[in-house]
Amino acid sequence: MRLGMVIDLKRCIGCYGCQVSCKAENGTRPGTTYARLIKREWGTFPDVQRLSIPLLCNHCSEPPCVDVCPTGASQKQESDGIVFVDGDVCVGCRACVMACPYGARYYQDREHTYFDSEGPNEYETTRYLEHVRGVVEKCDFCRHRLAEGLDPACVTNCMSKARIFGDLDDPDSEVSRLVREEGGFPLTPEAGTEPNVFYLPPDRPPTNDRQVTP
Amino acid sequence: MSSPDTLDIRRRDLRSEFRPQREWIDGRGLLIVVAHFFSGIGAGAWLFSVWLDIEAGMVLGLVCVAILSGIAHLLFLGRFERFWRMLKRPHKSWISRGIWGIGIFSVGALGTLGAPPAWRDTMVAVSLFGCAIILLYEGFVYAASKGIPFWSTKLLPVLYITYGLRGGAALLLILAAAGSTAFDVHAMEAIKLWVVVSTGVLVLLYLTTASRSGGAARHSVRQLVAGRLSPAFYGGTVVVGILVPIALAAAREFGATGLFLLAAIGVSSLIGDFYVKYCVVKAGTYVTLSGAGLGTNANEPTRSRRFREAG
Repeated sequence: MRLGMVIDLKRCIGCYGCQVSCKAENGTRPGTTYARLIKREWGTFPDVQRLSIPLLCNHCSEPPCVDVCPTGASQKQESDGIVFVDGDVCVGCRACVMACPYGARYYQDREHTYFDSEGPNEYETTRYLEHVRGVVEKCDFCRHRLAEGLDPACVTNCMSKARIFGDLDDPDSEVSRLVREEGGFPLTPEAGTEPNVFYLPPDRPPTNDRQVTP
Repeated sequence: MSSPDTLDIRRRDLRSEFRPQREWIDGRGLLIVVAHFFSGIGAGAWLFSVWLDIEAGMVLGLVCVAILSGIAHLLFLGRFERFWRMLKRPHKSWISRGIWGIGIFSVGALGTLGAPPAWRDTMVAVSLFGCAIILLYEGFVYAASKGIPFWSTKLLPVLYITYGLRGGAALLLILAAAGSTAFDVHAMEAIKLWVVVSTGVLVLLYLTTASRSGGAARHSVRQLVAGRLSPAFYGGTVVVGILVPIALAAAREFGATGLFLLAAIGVSSLIGDFYVKYCVVKAGTYVTLSGAGLGTNANEPTRSRRFREAG
């Protein structure tokens, strides 16, 4: 089995629902967003277009983050291809953060809280206990939810159904069909990491790409 | 508790097109540069000291690698109490190989300095093996970082090896100037001059190659030559690290003498050694994730080899 995801850029409306639901599900600290969203705009007025690009760990088949890890804390699960970090083994050298071409890894160095001047609130006190300090964390396709037969939180909570999750090794699965028939493409294929997150092209291709600064 | 500024920087980074790496340079991240600085010059000093039989240089090399670099490495880690786990994957990870290298070198170096004469040759061989690993591993740790195109080149290990060697030579020149030992200073000066000129050429070659390696690497080069890092690059790496040692060495060639001059060549070289590592690490920028990739792919969707083969 090779779990993967397809993200339809035509359907994504940039609502940040994936980002928020991921944070709620995993109880991550400020500055840590396993599922994040960036926005790009291009063109010249009045012919302009905006694109929302959801980003997350690509659970690569050839993950460079696993190769560079000196302790074996970064692992690829053989049964389903999920790449995860064992927080009890990681030493916090951050080599994997540098190796990941998708910026999907976050080092937990400080005890950030959302309202720093007031200290951690009750929610933060409870949820942040789940995270080990001084190690690297990342998306693991919500392994705890998969164990209960549920989809990852970002997939379940995507209101426009832009995220489809499934087994890429199964040619009859929805994800395989979409990649095959609708031209699914990975990000930065030149890195040679064989990503397992695919994107379906937007209505119009970006030209003269320009960063949006919110 | 965090400083809101740090958090703001992190949030802004996540939205920016050219996201700078901060984990290996900001705050405690600077310790990794310090660790690589000391391990490089320590290994270089050991190599030349063994060659020229300078015992004080050997001791200095051992102190730099085993103590100064070792402590900086440990303090850099998020969970230093687990450092022994880093010995587990030398077959895959350059960091793991580096830790082995430091360990092998330390054992060999201690043996060389303290073991009976009968064991000396064996211990020297062990220490030189460790030394070679240390000089090699630093550059390869960066070169293995696929997320940062500026580092992801085979030239970087060559640059780090050369800087390690010249740092070692610089340390020995300072030792000679301090008068603590006697050795062929002229031979060392000749080596030093040759290595300084080589590093200048290498830095130029590295930047030229990187500027042709795509958007993020080009952005890194721009930061160094005309951006926020240009004062550190021109001041620390080019002027103090390359031009000053060459000028001082030329002054000695034309008759200037004095221990102060010798020490100045050494100190300026060491400062340059630190700054080149600082600048290279600080300029690291993560690969850009949108833009060109989506533009070309959306026109002509790139399917993975697996799916193309499946038809």
